[in-house]
Amino acid sequence: MPNPIAATFRPYWQYRDLVRNLVIKDLKVRYQGAVLGFFWSLGNPLALILLYDFVFTHIFRSDLPNYILYLVIGVLHYNLFSQAVSQSCESLTSASGLIQKIYFPRILVPTSSLLFTLALWVIAIFILVILYPFLGGIYHWGLLLYPLALGLYIAFIWGIVLTFSVLQVELRDLKHLVDIALMFGFWFTPIGYDIHVLKPTTREIISLNPLTQFMDLFHALLYAGTLPALNHVLIASAWTIGTVTVGMILFRRKARHLVEDL
Amino acid sequence: MPPAIIVEHVSKEFILRHNRAMGLKTRFLGLFHKNKREKREHFLALDDVSFTLEQGEALGLLGHNGSGKSTLLQIIAGILQPSKGRVIANGRVAPLIQLGVGFNPELTGYENIFLNASLYGFLNKEVKKRVKSIIEFSELEHFIDTPLKNYSSGMQMRLGFAVAVNLQPDILLADEILAVGDQAFQDKCLDKIAEMRKNGMSLILVSHSQEQVSKFCDHFIRLERGVMLENGSIGEAWE
Ligand SMILES: Nc1ncnc2c1ncn2[C@@H]1O[C@H](COP(=O)(O)OP(=O)(O)O)[C@@H](O)[C@H]1O
Ligand SMILES: [Mg+2]
Repeated sequence: MPNPIAATFRPYWQYRDLVRNLVIKDLKVRYQGAVLGFFWSLGNPLALILLYDFVFTHIFRSDLPNYILYLVIGVLHYNLFSQAVSQSCESLTSASGLIQKIYFPRILVPTSSLLFTLALWVIAIFILVILYPFLGGIYHWGLLLYPLALGLYIAFIWGIVLTFSVLQVELRDLKHLVDIALMFGFWFTPIGYDIHVLKPTTREIISLNPLTQFMDLFHALLYAGTLPALNHVLIASAWTIGTVTVGMILFRRKARHLVEDL
Repeated sequence: MPPAIIVEHVSKEFILRHNRAMGLKTRFLGLFHKNKREKREHFLALDDVSFTLEQGEALGLLGHNGSGKSTLLQIIAGILQPSKGRVIANGRVAPLIQLGVGFNPELTGYENIFLNASLYGFLNKEVKKRVKSIIEFSELEHFIDTPLKNYSSGMQMRLGFAVAVNLQPDILLADEILAVGDQAFQDKCLDKIAEMRKNGMSLILVSHSQEQVSKFCDHFIRLERGVMLENGSIGEAWE
């Protein structure tokens, strides 16, 4: 018997080109070959950032230096979360045509939905890379840790994506509720404001939001030019282990019989 | 040589969900309104089915609509889990429950070949080696770079069939797919299946046509409401 870990992953590895083809299909269908369409995907976060910048500088005054950078980091990372979670809710139910007709590892459906969102998001992150020095971004060695923080965040999102894609099969109106929750979630996450300006009780409530912990990692690395505090890293890791565990267990238990309820 | 497929005491029970609560809202209403509540009924679609398919053999599945033929095929393909019993397959199983699974109308025929084949677990580089013979078999050379939405349904089926047979499965599960397309292409498909059979492929063929089954198959099974009524070989006594 060779390596048991390799044996566990071999069936998924066999299907790696399925994931790639599904993601490319979604990209092609979305933009139908129009290169301009690709750049439109930048329009949405840009418009949001302008709106929030207006709101937070003219309506609620913010004293944060380099405020736009702070805001851009938050908006982009929150967008990744909200788009991935919202998209993935219907990933399994809308793939029923495939699932009922052929066997392949079902987990690849929500996973490729997440990767599709990620592929679009990478374009948006280019804005940040280009604007970074102009917005007051600091180049420091800690930036090398950013891929790790992002990886942790993606794993956290993946766990939620798995969970919601399975739950949506039973509760077909879940996506509507999730979309509303994502709208509220924005304001319960320190994106346009600094958590330290809040009253202590409010601050504690906002800290319960796992996204607050992740935002702190990104703001520390990309905005403040420091390393994130260890306790934030640990809490974020704990949340990630939590969502991935729940997602995997739920998926394992439900995936075999999913097809009968689609 | 181990048998291609062993089906051991397979039963399948579906839960029919009348008035199924599709969302949280209806579930919530169900708390107050008795008649809005979901009613569940157990339905036995397959009842203790057993058979063995030796390598290189062909089995015809006969039976009326709703007798459980497709359900049995889906269980053998691993799409559905049996409620009882088990299925052992030796070799690569290619289900042909529908031609061209995953075809997307916006993609070109060429791109769809790769998407469809990867659903069968093929890597793109493996498909590249076969893509020429797939296109050739489909007779769609002139259209292969146009979007699938411009294809007629017959053309789409041709492409789907061309992919499936060129992936060289060990065991082909065909569910009434040969009842479609024009006569010429249908004959071509049947010839191709006969050729693959000669090269040792095993086959399970669901068909309405007794004639087709007797032409292609060594054995047959007749299902009636999920129960295996007849199980025999196709000999002189067959009519
Ligand atoms: N997912 C399902 N849920 C509930 N009942 C099903 C499901 N799939 C099939 N059935 C029922 O099982 C029976 C057998 O169906 P099927 O295998 O499609 O028959 P056939 O292919 O022989 O026409 C039918 O009565 C059908 O309604
Ligand atoms: Mg059928």
